[in-house]
Amino acid sequence: MKNNIRVERAIKNITQGELAEQVGVSRQTINTIESNKYVPSTILALKIARVFGKALEEVFMLEDGD
Amino acid sequence: MKSKFLFPYWCRYLGWGLVMLHVPLSMFGRSHGMVNVLDKPSTGLFTGEHLFFIYTSLVMVSGLFLAAFSREKVEDEQIWQVRLDSLRWAIFVNYVVLIISLVFIEDVGHMLDLNLYVPLVFFIIRFRWVIYRLNRSLSREG
Repeated sequence: MKNNIRVERAIKNITQGELAEQVGVSRQTINTIESNKYVPSTILALKIARVFGKALEEVFMLEDGD
Repeated sequence: MKSKFLFPYWCRYLGWGLVMLHVPLSMFGRSHGMVNVLDKPSTGLFTGEHLFFIYTSLVMVSGLFLAAFSREKVEDEQIWQVRLDSLRWAIFVNYVVLIISLVFIEDVGHMLDLNLYVPLVFFIIRFRWVIYRLNRSLSREG
C-alpha cells in the first residue's frame, strides 16, 4: 500500500509531529507509515484522511502487489 | 488504542531497579553461605536456602516482568504490534532453547531457571531493539 501523506502534509503545512498529535500516535508511527514500512489500521488511516479532509482513497492507495 | 494489562510507565524504572537489586542481594546471600537450591539435593520447602532462592528469583523475575510489561510514553498501534511481534519471537526462542536443552542437558532443575528468564529477557531485548531502530530512523530523517 502506498500513501501520499508527505504530499498532503506539505499542502496543509503541518509537521509529522503535529499530524501525530492530531491522530493520537507517536511521531515514529507517522514516519514509518510515510516511508511505507508500516501499514496503519483502518481506524488510523481514516483518522489521517479526516485530518486532511480527503477521502481515504485519495491518501492511501493499493499497489500492484497487494 | 487501548492497551490493557500493562503497568504504568514508571513501573519500567521500578523493574530495572529490582533487577539491579538482585545482584547485591544474591552476592550477599552467597557470601553468607546460601547456595542456589537448584545446585544441591532438595533441602525441603521453606528452609533458609529455599527462601533465599524464592526471594532472589522473585526480585529478578518481577523486575524483568515490570520492565517488560510497562506502558511506553506514547502507546499506539505500532508499539502494540511491535510488542506482539516481540512476544511471538520470545516464545519461539524460548521453546527452541527448551527443546535443545531437553535433549542435550541432563540437569532438568536448571531448565526452570532457563524458562523463567529466557522469554522475558529475549522479549525485552527484541522490543527495545526495534524501538531503538524506529527512533534512529526518525532522527536520521530529522
